[in-house]
Amino acid sequence: MSISIVIIKNRILTKILTIGFAIIHLSFVAYCWINLNKTELDYFTYDSLGLLFLSILSVISIPAIYHSFIYLKNEDIRKFTIYNAAFIALITFMSGAYLANGMAVIWIFVEATTLAVAALIYHDRTELALEATWKYIFVCSIGIALAYIGILFLSMTMHGTGISDLSFSSMTRMISNANPLYLKIAFVFIFVGFSTKMGLFPMHTITIDAHSVSPPPISALISTALMNVGFLAIFRAYLFLSSSVILPFMRQAFIIAGLLSLLISAGYMLKAKHLKRMLAYSSLENMGLVAIGVGVGGIGYYAAVLVILLHTLTKSSLFFQMGQLSRVLKTFKLDECGNYMKLYPAGALVLITGMLCILAIPPSGLFISEFILLKAMVLNGQWFVFIVTVLLLCCVIYAMSTRIMHITFSDSRNPDQCRVPGNVNPVETISQFIFLGLVIILCFYQPPILVDLINQSISVLPK
Amino acid sequence: MVNYLIVLFAVTLVYLSITERFRIYAGLIALQGLLLFGITFLELNEVTTANLIFIAAETLIFKTIVVPYLIFRIIRQTGVYKVHELAMPGFYILIFTIISLLISILLANQLINPYINTVYMTIALFTMFTGLLIVVTHKLILSHLIGFLILENAVFMFSLAVGNEMPMLINIGILLDIFVGVLILSFFGSKLKPHIGELTKLKD
Repeated sequence: MSISIVIIKNRILTKILTIGFAIIHLSFVAYCWINLNKTELDYFTYDSLGLLFLSILSVISIPAIYHSFIYLKNEDIRKFTIYNAAFIALITFMSGAYLANGMAVIWIFVEATTLAVAALIYHDRTELALEATWKYIFVCSIGIALAYIGILFLSMTMHGTGISDLSFSSMTRMISNANPLYLKIAFVFIFVGFSTKMGLFPMHTITIDAHSVSPPPISALISTALMNVGFLAIFRAYLFLSSSVILPFMRQAFIIAGLLSLLISAGYMLKAKHLKRMLAYSSLENMGLVAIGVGVGGIGYYAAVLVILLHTLTKSSLFFQMGQLSRVLKTFKLDECGNYMKLYPAGALVLITGMLCILAIPPSGLFISEFILLKAMVLNGQWFVFIVTVLLLCCVIYAMSTRIMHITFSDSRNPDQCRVPGNVNPVETISQFIFLGLVIILCFYQPPILVDLINQSISVLPK
Repeated sequence: MVNYLIVLFAVTLVYLSITERFRIYAGLIALQGLLLFGITFLELNEVTTANLIFIAAETLIFKTIVVPYLIFRIIRQTGVYKVHELAMPGFYILIFTIISLLISILLANQLINPYINTVYMTIALFTMFTGLLIVVTHKLILSHLIGFLILENAVFMFSLAVGNEMPMLINIGILLDIFVGVLILSFFGSKLKPHIGELTKLKD
């Protein structure tokens, strides 16, 4: 489909093909649900964890397409077709990464996402876009190379066993007899390598830059579905390595990376001057929480998966809203933003609701997940982690709420720079309200099927 | 014979770490490609002929000819011949290179495995450290590209260590090579003005 879009170069046909792709993707998700835990084409398994992420990707890709069409309204045909072709490719590669049942396969798809994302970040063809794209490709390539070295170290532990595939099931069988030093090195490389996609410290900088220049619907995807790809790649490795003796080592690595991510995000959010960068740091904060959840273990695993799912819904809504905010206020600079409630009440409501949801303030579903996460820390006696996390979360709440409140209710701090406000139809916020509504509903009611899927996906982990 | 080629490969790394001229960088990258071709040819005797031809072609055509050609083209287009004057002096880089060689030797000895040649492991680790060192200590984008290409060669050496049992992994490594070569060197190499040292417009 991507190739045909580039060849055809027709706006209407491109739109039809893109919408058709979204429908096919939804149908495919339904097919995967029917065939849960089935392996197909040797390299793909429709397991519970992959299916959770695939379903949520399919759901957010629909408003992403809608907002992309609005964003691309006045673009020339070349940029329009490249954008849509790269968009379809990105969704396809991410889907492949979610369903991959081996480290080598997941690695190939992760590498492929870099190509598609690069084309999307570079969409505006500005100097800043070029800089962000270059940094993204370069650091991602280094990350991918490091992850590959990690996979090679894993494969070295399988010498002489007669196994020549790197599927998760083979790995799980062989890992208990493997050399722990090899496993530790492999894990560190995989962890650091795929952190470029997950946006976790120390490889977080490129995703922050990418967010600030890419089109808002793409920021929504990078900040959610693509970060989920990185998380899944690391978590898959963690799942099969958890039966080995390096489990405590891996947990420590997760906790350290998580706390440092929280620290960096809190620090930068307190001095944020660019709205999209602030949201990007908020993603870093949430990924930090996810890493801490995995590191703490026990019910922390459940909390980590729940945080990442709810973060996907909330953050995508906020980034979709950024598209409208930029058309109303004509800027993302916090000093030049203000009076959003007067200018675009529907958007301001999304911003405030989104802020409450992302900061895990009740009735946000994230409140439940973060509460479980903190409870896991207390149950496991991780008091230091608990105190540091709570303190840093307070900083994040202060930084984000003061800035969003300023944008919504105050006058601009720099009135000389204010542009003539644009006009945006409130209907565009519908998808954002639906997603945020879902996040709020999940605070009061978590459907048994969701709970079962999360529990299934973490069932192999030691308590 | 393989061990001689591997040691020669290590010598190119030491030279790469102290040189300051991009033409020499390009020449050494070509030489490394040739050495990797020799190592592949001598080492991978259990893979299928088709696979061997594919891997040999990648090292001989891509690593030895295409990549150095693209680097030379960038040098010609930009007129930049030497590394940034603010880059770390070669003498200090040499000291770090030697330290990284010692670390590689120690680490490889900790990782002794009956199926993997220790010399192989040492030089692969050394190549990885040298690549990362060049990325970190240099200022120009072209220097970063060179560092990354060295890291790529490290990846290739690691994959050769398991190549006889898992040839699929080498093919994946080649995929990474081509991905980087085509995308970064040909597209961004010319668009991004590789003589520019600092990309700091995007900041908080």
